[in-house]
Amino acid sequence: MRSKTLKILFWLVSGAILAALWGPAQKGDAQQQVHYWFVAGVKDNIPPCVTWFNESQDSIQVVATPIPWNEHEKKVLTAILSGNPPDVVNLVTPVPKWAARKALVALDSIIVADKLDTANFFPALWQEMKYRDDTYALPAYTGAFALFYNKRLMRRAGLDPAQPPGTWEEVKDYARKMTRRENGKLTEMGFIPQYGNIETPLIIAFEQGVRFVDASGSRVDLLDPALIHSLQWEHDFFDIYKVDEVTAFMGGFGYGNQHGFIAEKVALFINDNSFIDQIQKYNPGLDYGVAMIPSLEERPSVSAAGSWWLAIPRGSRHKRGAWEFMKFVVSHPVQLREAMSREETLFPVNRLAAHDPAFLAMHPYMAVFSDQMEQTRSKSITPLVHDIFWREFSLARERSLRGVLPPQQALLAAEKTIQFSLDRALEYDHYVNARMRTEEFFD
Amino acid sequence: MKTSRKNTLWGYLFASPWIVGFLIFGLYPIFASFYYSLCQYDVLRIPQFVGLRNYRELLFQDHYFYSAVWNTLFYTFIRSPLVIIGSLALALIVSRAARGVKFFRTIYFIPSIISGVILSVLWLWLLNPQYGLINSALQFFGLQGPLWLIDPSWSKPAIILMNIWSLGGGRMLVFLAAIQNVPTHYYEAVEMDGGGWWAKFTNVTLPFISPVLFLWFILEVIFSLQVFVEAYVMTKGGPLNSTLFYNLYLYNKAFDDFDMGYASALAWLLFILAGVITFVQFRLSKRWVYYSGGAEK
Repeated sequence: MRSKTLKILFWLVSGAILAALWGPAQKGDAQQQVHYWFVAGVKDNIPPCVTWFNESQDSIQVVATPIPWNEHEKKVLTAILSGNPPDVVNLVTPVPKWAARKALVALDSIIVADKLDTANFFPALWQEMKYRDDTYALPAYTGAFALFYNKRLMRRAGLDPAQPPGTWEEVKDYARKMTRRENGKLTEMGFIPQYGNIETPLIIAFEQGVRFVDASGSRVDLLDPALIHSLQWEHDFFDIYKVDEVTAFMGGFGYGNQHGFIAEKVALFINDNSFIDQIQKYNPGLDYGVAMIPSLEERPSVSAAGSWWLAIPRGSRHKRGAWEFMKFVVSHPVQLREAMSREETLFPVNRLAAHDPAFLAMHPYMAVFSDQMEQTRSKSITPLVHDIFWREFSLARERSLRGVLPPQQALLAAEKTIQFSLDRALEYDHYVNARMRTEEFFD
Repeated sequence: MKTSRKNTLWGYLFASPWIVGFLIFGLYPIFASFYYSLCQYDVLRIPQFVGLRNYRELLFQDHYFYSAVWNTLFYTFIRSPLVIIGSLALALIVSRAARGVKFFRTIYFIPSIISGVILSVLWLWLLNPQYGLINSALQFFGLQGPLWLIDPSWSKPAIILMNIWSLGGGRMLVFLAAIQNVPTHYYEAVEMDGGGWWAKFTNVTLPFISPVLFLWFILEVIFSLQVFVEAYVMTKGGPLNSTLFYNLYLYNKAFDDFDMGYASALAWLLFILAGVITFVQFRLSKRWVYYSGGAEK
């Protein structure tokens, strides 16, 4: 009797497990379902472009799934590995980092077949979509950087707010004039080179044409005198401040109205266009201006940029549907409409949209960002060891700033570590390339 | 006999979800990680067998490996005794409290249920050199507080300090239970000999609870070797790699660099390190752990 009950229980449990594994019946394929994973911020709102695409036609239905910023790379990675990836992903980490690992479908054949005009993308952003001359993604949207300056603090320091600093020497000079202390403690600073999302010495290096690696991409070169000079500039900037006191001062900054620039504790700050929305939200009365990023004497004003991008992961089941959606998102009208309809302004990657009068009319300073975007450089330098490169570069900066090592020695130490890792990665890459191929669009 | 075998089979059948789970999510990854530790492998592409190269490079060429080991051992050997002594002191205080034992037990247990990430963010503010409560309190007493997480020489002590928060928790409850299980007639014997509280503690309490202390020393060392969340949330390993703990370095290698082979080798070396330290602890335990029923075999 007991045995019979156990048997019934066993078959019931087994049946339930099998039913759960089998899952719901699949829908008919009359309408192709394209699964789109995008990295969500605080809100999980479905991007408007998805709704517009679904409304624009009947044959493809894009199903958008937000994935959390934290751990998003791991989620995509495991989905690809499990053989059940989404059809389109929207990511921000460098394309070559993924392409080098054969995680993305090469798009050149479909770009040619569909005659997609790639000249419409900002050149630096388009370059970032490539790995070894093949294209793996389309840029979706970006953030354009520029210099924000506080007019009130400039006036108070006796500076003309109509003349923001144009050179790095002026930045240093203005910063000193605008820095204030109370009882020996910093209460306001003119400029902090390491505050913000963009590395000041990196911009200075880009201005001077530093390439960081040789033409083959296999030999790291961080001992370029121009790069050493960039770190030296940052080191010298601190000759009248202690690094620790500045770091402690920055420790009091946060997000929103606690942001150093928004709270008027920092007078000069480099940030992207979405910062305008934050200022509007948290301190609408702030008297500020936006100018091109300063440069060295006789050098062009440049910026560093990266973009959010769209790509088809290896193993996608609906490449054609995915591609149609990608093309739709990067088109001029959709880029313009999306940039103008979001709560935080996304900067278009499509130059036609970025220079469109309707977009420029969104804010008096939008044209500065658009102009600066034409002079951006890619931060994707050693794709195979991307994170190691930037960890080491940051460490070299920190060592140089804190005076642990002179800039040249700090860069030499970084170069050795990156080279060691790059050699390992290249050897592995060579081994894999002989045994594994990249998935093409028409495979 | 037949019924007994049948029952055994049914037993295995009902235990099978756990057995299958253990084989797939426990045993297989253990063996797989050992295999991958002998490979170059970035998860997305095929593994390349390289023999012991990962281990060789870790031990003889990777200076971050030794930084990570040093940072982790520093943390382990300072933190573990501190939290055990602190928890024991709390347990002793609570055990002697005339009233409100339940209240204090609950109060001291509460911090241990807070997630490590929340705790880390909270302490990030408490340890802020300019606006943090700790330095403000020090300033009240006329002391200039250190820069804590910003200063490479204070960053590890700052993270250890943060752990004092969780002195209570399960650790304290176990100590409390052990203390309350000490037979009272031993204390009476000490009293008859004229011994005070210190004599009672060193001659009765400590020997009786030494097996529990020993167990917690082993667990604490293993927990400490796995320190990760604090550094991941608060410092990312900085400043100047002073909080680059072993597991943070392993995480960077595995999930930032996708260098799974190297990360697997790191994991196996950590396993060996934990094994060696535990072995030494067992050897040393013979000198101070007392088992009332006779020596532990």
